[in-house]
Amino acid sequence: MRVCRSCGGGDIDVDQARGSAVCTSCGSVLEDNIIVSEVQFVEGSGGVSSAVGQFVSADGPVKAPLLGSGFHTSVGKESRAQTLQAGKRQIQQLGSQLKLNQHCLDTAFNFFKMVVSKHLTRGRKTEHVIAACLYLVCRTEGTPHMLLDLSDLLQVNVYILGKTFLLLARELCINAPAIDPCLYIPRFAHMLEFGGQTHEVSMTALRLVQRMKRDWMHTGRRPSGLCGAALLVAARMHKFRRTVKDVISVVKVCQTTLRKRLTEFEDTPTSQLTIDEFMKVDLEQECDPPSFTASKHKAKMQQLEHELARKLDEVEGEISCYKDEIESELEKSRPKLRGIYAAYAKEIDPEDAELLSLTSEPEVPEVEEAELNAAAQHLTQTFLNQVIHEEDRHGKKADDSDQGAGPENEGAGPQRLAAPLAVILGQLPSAASLSLQKTFQSFGEETGGKPDDEQSESGELDLKDIDDQEIDKYILNDREVEVKTELWMKQNAEYLKEQKEKEERIRKEKEQGTYKEKPKKAKRKKDQVAASTAGEAIERMLEKKKISSKINYEVLRDLNSRGTESGTGSGGGSSPSRASPPPLPRLALRHETTQPPPQEDKRR
Amino acid sequence: MDSSNDEALDIIITNVVATFRVRCHLNLRTIALEGNNVIYKPDCGKVLMKLRKPKITASIWSSGKIICTGATSEDDAKLGARRLARVLQKLGFRVRFSAFKVVNVLAVCSMPFSIALIDFTMNNRPIASYEPELHPAATYRIKHIKATVQVFSTGSITVTGPNVQTVATAVEQVYPLLFECRKPLRK
Repeated sequence: MRVCRSCGGGDIDVDQARGSAVCTSCGSVLEDNIIVSEVQFVEGSGGVSSAVGQFVSADGPVKAPLLGSGFHTSVGKESRAQTLQAGKRQIQQLGSQLKLNQHCLDTAFNFFKMVVSKHLTRGRKTEHVIAACLYLVCRTEGTPHMLLDLSDLLQVNVYILGKTFLLLARELCINAPAIDPCLYIPRFAHMLEFGGQTHEVSMTALRLVQRMKRDWMHTGRRPSGLCGAALLVAARMHKFRRTVKDVISVVKVCQTTLRKRLTEFEDTPTSQLTIDEFMKVDLEQECDPPSFTASKHKAKMQQLEHELARKLDEVEGEISCYKDEIESELEKSRPKLRGIYAAYAKEIDPEDAELLSLTSEPEVPEVEEAELNAAAQHLTQTFLNQVIHEEDRHGKKADDSDQGAGPENEGAGPQRLAAPLAVILGQLPSAASLSLQKTFQSFGEETGGKPDDEQSESGELDLKDIDDQEIDKYILNDREVEVKTELWMKQNAEYLKEQKEKEERIRKEKEQGTYKEKPKKAKRKKDQVAASTAGEAIERMLEKKKISSKINYEVLRDLNSRGTESGTGSGGGSSPSRASPPPLPRLALRHETTQPPPQEDKRR
Repeated sequence: MDSSNDEALDIIITNVVATFRVRCHLNLRTIALEGNNVIYKPDCGKVLMKLRKPKITASIWSSGKIICTGATSEDDAKLGARRLARVLQKLGFRVRFSAFKVVNVLAVCSMPFSIALIDFTMNNRPIASYEPELHPAATYRIKHIKATVQVFSTGSITVTGPNVQTVATAVEQVYPLLFECRKPLRK
């Protein structure tokens, strides 16, 4: 080890008790007062000997706790130590609420230490991280604690906790075993208060759950839902009257889920057994998972529908000619062209209808209602004339195929309609028809394709396949812009006011020199647009609450106000609503209508 | 598309998300007032513009960055992006189309068999994770190609990845694993 300084001998005797190192060959003392690391014992009162010293934790601070003047506030402790201490405290607190034993809490603290050392606490609330560590322990130990319990205690969204938990499990490479619903049964059974028979009920429920597992009802489902269903059935089997409400308050799923599980279980063959049979016999056969049976059922329904539709088509071909004649008769008596126009327009070419709706808009506000109808009818006539020509072409092409029945009928229909229309309408101003023809022809060219030849360099726009005409539809003209600006200003008046006030405030503060950059919080503004009727108020409320974005409110309103036929869907919905002006202004709607709302106000 | 099967597996691309820049500052108010299919969200600071053909929704920020979602193919996304830039050009902004990048592709695929998720998770331990309390599907993250596959017990899977090629690779990679854990159907 060491060599003696004086003689060079290697044989040195180190005496721990005296604390000295002496060379045995020449006797010179090499070291005196060696610091020893032995445990010393001291005799206390009553003859008890105790070790001298204090326990200091390995990861604690370097500084030893002061004797005499001990500061309670940890002054100068490392940040890491503070984090760990705070974490430990929180774990203890949360863990005791969950009634976890000390071993689990220690394991959780170990997880937490690992997490901190991997810097995974950055950017996450400590609460969430603690909860995730605790849940990790619950899973590895197999305790019957759900993530839902933790989220209840913390009042945090369960999916946020779940995200943190998944991330930690992945980073720490901890493979948590999958949740077995059987684990939860004793806990829920205890909460449902079965008294002395809790054990038997639990056993029955366990058998049920195992049966469910074999019938593939548990994949992809919350284990608590299955437990709830099993416990309900088990309770009933043992003649306990537990309602669905009792069970769901314990199990924390909703009524619908429970009922669904019960129905699924009902579909399995096991449900047909009596109670005694179930306890004794185990059916060998396994079922398909319920989603699979549901989709097979759906597929069968679809197939049936197809067959029915085919049969209907055959019958329809016979009836259609009668139908057309009846329709033409109706046309003569009732000039409700709008609806049919929209329907045809939609079937034939939605883009034509769109174009026409846009081009006709500039004319619309200047015309009174009676004139509007006449103009609209004239447009219909000219449009249909054009369409008939096109349809003839299409119809000839489709002649060969078997599916010619559909388009042929359509082609035949407008043709027959055109004749009575010309009779009804007579001569109308030709300026409108001219402009319409022109735009229609230009549109016809457009459908042929008009690629631009600009090269696409970096930054330059490659305009190939971009139809400028169509793009122009996306831009409103000046008049429309004015009206929309007005409307927008009115609608967002509050927001604009707020912005102005904010700017004023900032300016004042800057002058005073107290301006601070504050983090902007996204505020939810409430548009308080006055509603003219109760119906509209409800509509607005529904929209704001976003109960359904799939309801076409225009159609709903039309149903209420006029009771006339309206086109189905939002595409046809725009045209009929123009002809029969809705009684209410559509200010707050944000649907994909192509027309700007203010036109309605003007026409009223 | 699948090599180890007689019947082809249809991978249907349902959503393509792309971002690009127009290299100029945009006045959102102008776009909101003069555009036809726009929704202005002043609290988020963006304008949503929906195009009909191809069916695309674009979020436009005033810095000139635009996110384009809803396309059904990469080419569609590019076409839609160029159309959008053209609209902005017509509104009077000096746009320069640049930095077009497809960021995310979402595809769905349906296996002809059901899958036992618990076995699948156990076989592929750290890569796959399954949390029935949170989500009914098992998530399989392929790190080196940066794709995520969500496997449902009915046999349908959804794949998300940075481009269409990655998605195809991911499906091919995950298919044999799914095949092992398929459920033998009785009825």
